[in-house]
Amino acid sequence: MARVKRGVTTHARHKKVVDQAKGFRGRGKNVFRAAIERVEKSLQYAYRDRRVRKRNFRSLWIQRINAGAREHGLTYAQFMHGMKNAGIDVDRKVLSDLAVREPAAFKALVEKAQSALGDRG
Amino acid sequence: MKTYSAKPADIEKKWFIVDADGVILGRLAVRIANLLRGKHKPMYTPHMDCGDNVIVVNAGKVRLTGNKLAGKIYYRHTGHPGGIKQRTAGQILDGKHPERVLLKAVERMVPDGPLGRQQMRNLRVYAGAEHPHEAQAPAVLDVGAENPKNRRSA
Repeated sequence: MARVKRGVTTHARHKKVVDQAKGFRGRGKNVFRAAIERVEKSLQYAYRDRRVRKRNFRSLWIQRINAGAREHGLTYAQFMHGMKNAGIDVDRKVLSDLAVREPAAFKALVEKAQSALGDRG
Repeated sequence: MKTYSAKPADIEKKWFIVDADGVILGRLAVRIANLLRGKHKPMYTPHMDCGDNVIVVNAGKVRLTGNKLAGKIYYRHTGHPGGIKQRTAGQILDGKHPERVLLKAVERMVPDGPLGRQQMRNLRVYAGAEHPHEAQAPAVLDVGAENPKNRRSA
């Protein structure tokens, strides 16, 4: 039976990790021992940040809606309250897109929200 | 649908001029910081410099409430042992560069980092009533009149 040398499998295993470490800084990008730690951590970050991304986007949409609503004299909270009273069920992603791309449509929504606000405004 | 992200070509930087005479420091600084960061625009994009340019005149005449002229202390450290130095807001306002009080207040409201530094470069503060930016045709922004609490007489 042919003699099995172990360098081939080890090299393949190391290459798999080092290839995933592309773009890292310092030893993390080409030294296996450092790279495997960085790669494992990076996968943890990636897992966490796929969830954090959803929160980040929602907060960005809120900031944009707030800016858009304030252009027409309402704060974010007043605007969303007015939308609820008016029974307009549009999510924040779409609202922020309207605020950027369709200022006229957004203005119409703000006016609807304004008129649906009670006396306490 | 993809969330909008401002491109350099989409960003339109306006010019504003603010008269700081008699306006409360912190209230003015928030307003300016938000303009510099672009948070008043629906197209606000956190990683882009999408704010406006702001010119402030009469920055030496900002108002502080309460005991802050004597009690608000700015510290700095020379790096040597025992090298901490301090000045009060009143000393700076009476000194050679009174505009630094407002400048510092805004700087502390803008995020630290390369983007924040870039945005601070869009702010020009002058202690007196003169400014060399007439050519930019800045729009007047009367912060003092926006809210009765923004202004205080001496």
